[in-house]
Amino acid sequence: MRSDEAAGRPAEQAHWAAGRCALGCCRWWEETGVSPSRPDPVRPGLVVLEPAVACAEGGGDGAARESELGPSPFTFRSRRIFLQKEDEFFEDGDVHRHLYLQNSITSVGEVERPKVSEFCCQIAGCSQLFDALENYEHHYNTFHRNVCSSCKRSFPSSHLLDIHILEWHDSFFQILAAKQNMYLCLVESCTEKFKAFSDRKKHMIKVHGYPSDFRFDKPKKPKCNQKNQSSHDIEMETSSCQKEANDTSCRTSTESMDYAPAETMEADSPSMSEEKSSIPKVQQRPSFSYKVPTTICFGHGSVRGFKNARKKK
Amino acid sequence: MIRNRNRVCGVEEIKAKRRQHERALRKARKEKQLVSKRLPRGLQGDGEDVEIRETSVTQEEIFQLYQRIQRGSDDRLAALCSLRRVLHLKEAQQIFVRFENSIRVLNGLFTSNLASVQLQAAQCLLKLSHSDDPSVSLVCLPATPYLLTYLSGQSAKFTELCLYILGNLAAENEAVRSQLLVQGVIQALSVCLQVSHLMELWWRLRLICCHKCCRRRKQERRSSFLEASLTPRLIRLLDLDSEFGMQTTVECAWCLHYIVSSGVSSECMISQGLISQAVKLLIALGRTVDSGTTDGVELLIYPVARCLGNLIASDEQLWCKRQFHDSDLLQALSVFLRGFLQSRPFVTRECLWLLNNLSAGDRQFCSAILCHNLVPVFLQLIPFSGGINTLVLMLLGNVAELGLEYCEKLQQQTGLFPALCSTLSTADPEAARMTLEVLNLIFSYCQQACARFANQNGILALEMVQYHSNDEVRVRANFLMDRYFADQDV
Repeated sequence: MRSDEAAGRPAEQAHWAAGRCALGCCRWWEETGVSPSRPDPVRPGLVVLEPAVACAEGGGDGAARESELGPSPFTFRSRRIFLQKEDEFFEDGDVHRHLYLQNSITSVGEVERPKVSEFCCQIAGCSQLFDALENYEHHYNTFHRNVCSSCKRSFPSSHLLDIHILEWHDSFFQILAAKQNMYLCLVESCTEKFKAFSDRKKHMIKVHGYPSDFRFDKPKKPKCNQKNQSSHDIEMETSSCQKEANDTSCRTSTESMDYAPAETMEADSPSMSEEKSSIPKVQQRPSFSYKVPTTICFGHGSVRGFKNARKKK
Repeated sequence: MIRNRNRVCGVEEIKAKRRQHERALRKARKEKQLVSKRLPRGLQGDGEDVEIRETSVTQEEIFQLYQRIQRGSDDRLAALCSLRRVLHLKEAQQIFVRFENSIRVLNGLFTSNLASVQLQAAQCLLKLSHSDDPSVSLVCLPATPYLLTYLSGQSAKFTELCLYILGNLAAENEAVRSQLLVQGVIQALSVCLQVSHLMELWWRLRLICCHKCCRRRKQERRSSFLEASLTPRLIRLLDLDSEFGMQTTVECAWCLHYIVSSGVSSECMISQGLISQAVKLLIALGRTVDSGTTDGVELLIYPVARCLGNLIASDEQLWCKRQFHDSDLLQALSVFLRGFLQSRPFVTRECLWLLNNLSAGDRQFCSAILCHNLVPVFLQLIPFSGGINTLVLMLLGNVAELGLEYCEKLQQQTGLFPALCSTLSTADPEAARMTLEVLNLIFSYCQQACARFANQNGILALEMVQYHSNDEVRVRANFLMDRYFADQDV
C-alpha cells in the first residue's frame, strides 16, 4: 500500500475493492465505498471507525504477503443488535417471569447453573469430548501431533516419527542399509547405529533395558496393507483413540504401531503380539520375556484396516 | 392454609412440578401463547377469608342457585354469594355457562345499581374470566363495554375487579384485544392511571401494549395518543423509589420493553427521558445488588436491560448524546454479570447483550471498559457456553476493533490469551470462529501481541483448530497461522 500511495485513487480502489476492505481490517462502507483516508460522519445505523490508522498498521507488512494469502476471510464488525420480543434469546427471562407470576418460584426453587463449555477434538473423525482444556491438549499432543502422513500412525515424539519415516517410507533406506549402518537407536541421546533391525533391538534391550516387544520398534512388514493406508484417514486412528482404554483383549498384528502412553516406554509394555519378522523365529525370540497376558491391552494400533482380521472392539 | 390441606408436598415433588410447569411455559412461548392470567391477591387459591371452599357441586344445585338469582329480591344476593363460592370449580363453571341466558342475567346483575349485587356479580365474572377454558372465559366478552366504563368509577375495589377481568380477557387472544382496543381500552386505562395507581393496571397495559404496538401502523392515531399520554407516565414511574413499589416498576418496565421492541419511533421515547431513567434505575439496582440483596431484584433488572438494549439499537444518535457517566453504569452491569451468573445465568447473558449494544463502535464506552478494568470480569465469564462466551468475545471484538491503543491495552491483560486459547478449542464452532476474529483484530493492529500469544502456548491452540471440521474456523485459523506465524516451527 505504501508504495502505491503516490498513485492516489487507484491504490485506494485497490484496497477498497467493491467498497470493501480487502484486508479485513476496516469495515466496509456498504453504500459508497468511501475512501478510508477521510473520516466519515456518523450516519445513523452505520457504525464507523477510523480506518486510516488501521490500514497503515495492519496493511503495512501484510500487504506484501496479502496477495499470496488471498483476501481475508474475517468478517467481524461491531454492531448493535436489536432483538424482537419473541426472540429465543429472551426465552429464559420470559419463562422466569411467568413462573413468578404463576407463583411457581418458591424458596425451594432450583437455581439454574450456567453451562460450562466443553472441548471437542476437532480432527475429522476424532470427536472426543473433554471437560477441561488440559485434557484436550494432552489428547491432541499425544494423538495428533507426530503423525506420519503416509500411513497415519501417530508417535509420541518427533524422533520416533522421523525414524519411522526413514525406515518405512524412505525408498532409499533399504538400499543404503545394505552398505552402512542405518538403523538408529531409538533412544534419542544414543547415537549408535546398526546394520540390522535385530541388532538394534538387541542393543535396545541390553543397553537401554527396553522390553522385547517395545511398541515402537516394529519392523516394516513386507506384505503390506499399505495399499489401503492411503484411504485410511485419521478416522482410523480415531478408533484407536476412542477405544484405548476400553479393550480387554487383543491379538494384533505387529505392523500396527501403537500409540503408547509415555510411561510404558520404560515399563513393561503389554505384549500386543508375537514378534514377527523376516528373521527366523528361533533367533528372534528374546531370552527374556516381558510378556503381559494377552488379556491386557492398552489399545489397538492407530490404524485400522478394513481387511484387518482382528475386529474385536 | 386451606390450599394444601389435602396434600403433603415434599421438596422433590415441588421441584418436579416446577420443572413440569417450566416445560409447559417454554412450549407455550414457542407457540406464542405465553400469557398469564391473574387473580387479585386475596383470591389466589387461598379461599376467601375463612370460608371453606366447596369441592364439588351438582348440576341440580347450580340450577337452583340460578333460579334463585333470576327470581330476584332478597334471596338473590345470598344466591349470588353461593354461586361465587362454587364458581372456582371447573365443572360448576361449565354447568353455569350452559344454562340458557345465564350470562345475560349475570351481566345484568353486574350493571345493577345495588352495589353489593354488583360486587358479587363482578366476582363471579372474575372467576369465569380466569378459567383456562375459552368457552368459559369468553362468555364474559359482552361485559367489556361496561367494564371499561366502570374503570373511571370511584370505587377502588370495584375498579380493581374490573381491571382483573379485563386483563384476563385480554390474555385470551388477539381478537379480544382488538375488540378492547376498538372499545377504547387505552383511553380508559389512561384515565384510570391518573386517578389511581394500581399494579394490576400495569400488567393489563402490558398485555395491551404487547398487541397494540404490533398494529401501530394501522392505527396511527391511537399510537400517538399512547405516546403522548401514556409513555411519559410510564417512564416517570420507572423509578426504584417510586411510591408504588417495585411491582409497579416491574410492570412499567415490561410495558416499556414491549413498546420499544415494537419499533415505535424512539425519538419520542428518548425525548421523554427514557434513557436517563433506565440508566439511573440500573445504577440504583447495581448498588442494591452490591449491598447484598439479590432476591427478586433480577425481575426488574432484565426488563429494563431489554428496554435499554433495544432502544440503543434502534437509535444510536441519541445514545451518543448521553449525559451521564459510563463508569457508573458499567459498575452496575459488572455487578449483575458476576452476581447472577450462578443463579440466573440468563440475566448475565442479557446484560452482556446490553453491553454489546453500548460498546459497539463507541470509543468512549470501550475506553471506560478498559479503564475500569472490566476485561478480567469478562474473562471470568468465558468458560460458559449458552451464548455467554460468544457475547464476551463480541465485546472483546468491539474493543479490539477500535485500533492500536485499544489492542495494546487489551493484549496486556494477563489471562487474555489463555482464555482465548480455551475458547478456540471449545466444541462450539461459533465460539471458535469469534475467537479467531478477535485474534485477527488484535494481531492486525498490534504486532507485539503475536509474540505474546506465541509465548503463552497460543500456537498449539491455533494449530489444533487448523483441522477443524467447520470450514469457517479452518479457513480463518489457516489464514492467521500463515500470516503471523509462518516462521514458527511447529
